[in-house]
Amino acid sequence: MAGIADFLDSLIGGFALVCFAFAVGSLFWGLFVLRPWLRDAGYPAVLLERTVKLLYAGGFALAGAQVFKIILKIWLMSAVLDKWPFPEFAETTQFIGGIVRALFTLVLAGYCYCVLSKNPYSKDYWQTAGLVAVPMIISGAWLVHAAGRFDNPVILMGLTVIHQLAAAAWIGGVFHLVNIWLMRSKKQISADLWPLLLKRFSLFGMASVGVILLSGVPMALQYIDSWNGFIGTGYGNLLMVKIILLALALSLAWLNKSAVADYFVTRDGHALNYRVPYYIEAEAFVLITLLFTAASLASQPPSIDIPNLTASWQEVVDMFTPRVPRTASPTHQALIAGEAGRVAIIGQVPSEAATAWSDYNHNIAGIFLTTMSFFAMLSYVKRLPSAFSGFERYLGYLTRYWPIGFVGLGIFLFFRSDAETWPLGPIGFWESTFNNGEVLQHRIATLLVFVLGVLELVARLPRNQNSRLPYFFPILAAFGGLMLLTHSHVGFQAKSAFLIQIGHTLMGVFSLVLACGRWLELKLDRPGKDIAGFISVAALFQIGLILMFYREPLY
Amino acid sequence: MKNLYLLSLLLLALYQPIACAHAVVTDYSLKITPIHENQADKVSLDFNSKIELGLSQVFLVSKGDKQTLLTIGKGDKQGRVNIEIPALVSGDYALKLKVFAADGHLTEDVIHFTVAP
Repeated sequence: MAGIADFLDSLIGGFALVCFAFAVGSLFWGLFVLRPWLRDAGYPAVLLERTVKLLYAGGFALAGAQVFKIILKIWLMSAVLDKWPFPEFAETTQFIGGIVRALFTLVLAGYCYCVLSKNPYSKDYWQTAGLVAVPMIISGAWLVHAAGRFDNPVILMGLTVIHQLAAAAWIGGVFHLVNIWLMRSKKQISADLWPLLLKRFSLFGMASVGVILLSGVPMALQYIDSWNGFIGTGYGNLLMVKIILLALALSLAWLNKSAVADYFVTRDGHALNYRVPYYIEAEAFVLITLLFTAASLASQPPSIDIPNLTASWQEVVDMFTPRVPRTASPTHQALIAGEAGRVAIIGQVPSEAATAWSDYNHNIAGIFLTTMSFFAMLSYVKRLPSAFSGFERYLGYLTRYWPIGFVGLGIFLFFRSDAETWPLGPIGFWESTFNNGEVLQHRIATLLVFVLGVLELVARLPRNQNSRLPYFFPILAAFGGLMLLTHSHVGFQAKSAFLIQIGHTLMGVFSLVLACGRWLELKLDRPGKDIAGFISVAALFQIGLILMFYREPLY
Repeated sequence: MKNLYLLSLLLLALYQPIACAHAVVTDYSLKITPIHENQADKVSLDFNSKIELGLSQVFLVSKGDKQTLLTIGKGDKQGRVNIEIPALVSGDYALKLKVFAADGHLTEDVIHFTVAP
C-alpha cells in the first residue's frame, strides 16, 4: 500500500494550498474588497453568509488536511522505513509544526463559524478574524522547504509565507468572483454588485500579483543561480511552468479588466455578463493548476544544489527535435529479459528494449493525437480547397466523431503503459496499482483518456445536443493536464528524470490550454467561441507533435 | 452547471505528484577517499537540507542486491551524515539511502562505489 500512501501524501500538499486560498482569500476578500461595515455597502445577508461560510469551510478543510498530512507521513514512513516512526517523528519540526498549525487553523475556523458568522457586518469582528489568522499564517513558515535550508532560512521562510499569502489573496478572490457570479445567476444578489465587485477586485488583484512577484523573484534567485539551472533542472522547469501559467491567468485577468473598464464607460453589459464570468472560470482552472505546480515545485531539489545533475540547453532542445517516429516495438520477451538488469542496483545494465518500448508508446500516442486534432482543426474550416472537394461528404463524420481516437488510445495505453504488470507482465493488477505510485498514475491516465473519449463521443450524438455531457471534456482534459504537469518517473537518475519531465510538463501546459479553450468554446458567443475552440484543438495538435518526436534517455 | 464546474475544480484538486525529492547529496567523502579492502571505514555524506537522523536509513548494497542496514551518525557540520562501513572484500557496492529531510520530504537515492583490491 506504499504506492497509495505516496500518492496521497503528495496530493495533500496541493489540496492544502487550495484550502489555504479559500480561508485566507476569503478573509482578504471580506476585509479589503467587500468591506461590509461601510454604510453604503448594502450587501444582502446571503452574500455575507456565503462569504463567511467559504472562510470557515476552507479553514476546517485546511486543519483536516494538515492532520491528514501527518497521518500520511506516519503511514509512508512505516511503509518505506519498515518501522514505527515514533518517538522520533514526534520530535520533528514537521510533526510539531503541523499540529500547531492545525490547532491555529481550527481556532480561526472556529471563531469565524461561531462569532463572525453572527456579526458579518462588523468591522471589529472582521479585524479580529484577521488577527486570529496571523499565528496560523506564520506557523506555516516551519512547514515550507525553506525551513530545511542552511543559507538564509529565516529570510526564505518569510518570503515563502508572503508569497503564499499574496497567492491566496488573489486566487481566493477569484474563487469569490465565481461565487458572486453563481449567486447573481440565481438572482440571490443584485445585478449591480457584479460590476462593482469586479472593479474593486481589479485593483486588489493587481496589488496581490505585485506582491507575488516581489516575493517570488528573490526566492527564485536564491534557489537558481544560473540560466542553465533555470533551463536544465526540474526545479527550473517547474518554475518556468509557473511563469507560463501566471502569464495565462494574467491574460484572462486582463480581458476581464478591459471588459469592466469598458462597462463603466459605455454601460454596455454584454461582455460583462456573457464573457467575463467564463474568463474567470477558466482563470480559476489555471490558478488551481498553478497551486498544484507550486506544491510540486517544493518537492524538487533547488537548481543551486545540483550543478552536476543539470542538463545542458542542447540536451533540452534535443528532446523536442523532430525525428521519424518509432513505429516498431521491441517484443515483450525482449523487454522483460532486460528488466532484471535495468532495475538492479549492483551491475545495472541499461535496457535498450525498455527505452524503445517507451518511445514506441509515446510516438504512437502522438500519431493518434495529431491525426485526431488534424480532423478537429478541419471542423473550423468552412470549405475544403477544390482539389479535396471529393472528401467533403466524409468530412462531416470525421470532424464530428474524431474523439473516437481517445477510446482507441485508452485501449492502447492499457496494454502498453506498464509492460511488467498485468495484462502483459507477471505482476498482478491490484498489486502493481496499489504498490507503485507511477503505475497508479498510468492507470488513472489510461482510464481518463478512455472515459474522455466515450463521454465526448456520446455528447456528439445528435440526440445529446443539449446535454451537459460536452462539459466533461474540458474537465477531464484539465485533470489530465494536471497529471502531466506533476507526472514523475521514479527510479531515474535526476538528469534523466528531468529530461523526461520537460516533455510531460510542456504537454501539461498544452492540456490546460486545451481544457480552457474548450470550456470557453462551450460558454462564449461568437467570434470568441470559434477562436477559443481552434486554440483548444491546436493545443491538442502540439501535444501530439511532442509525443510523436519523444525519445527517452537510455537508463 | 454549477455542480459541474465545482466538480471540475474538485477534480483539479485531486491530483498531485508522486515523487518527493528535496534532500539531495551534494558531496560525499567517497569521491576523494576510497574504501580499502578488508578495512572498516567511515563515509560522510553532505546534504543540501537538514536531515532527521532518527527517521533516516542507509543500506549497504552488495553483489546480488543484498542489503545490510548501516549505523549512521551526525557529522561535524550542518547536513553531514557519517556512515560506518564494515570491512569489505573487493567488488562493486552501493549505498542506498532513505532520508527524511526537515522539510518533510522522504527521499531515496543510491550512491555507487568500488572497493579495489
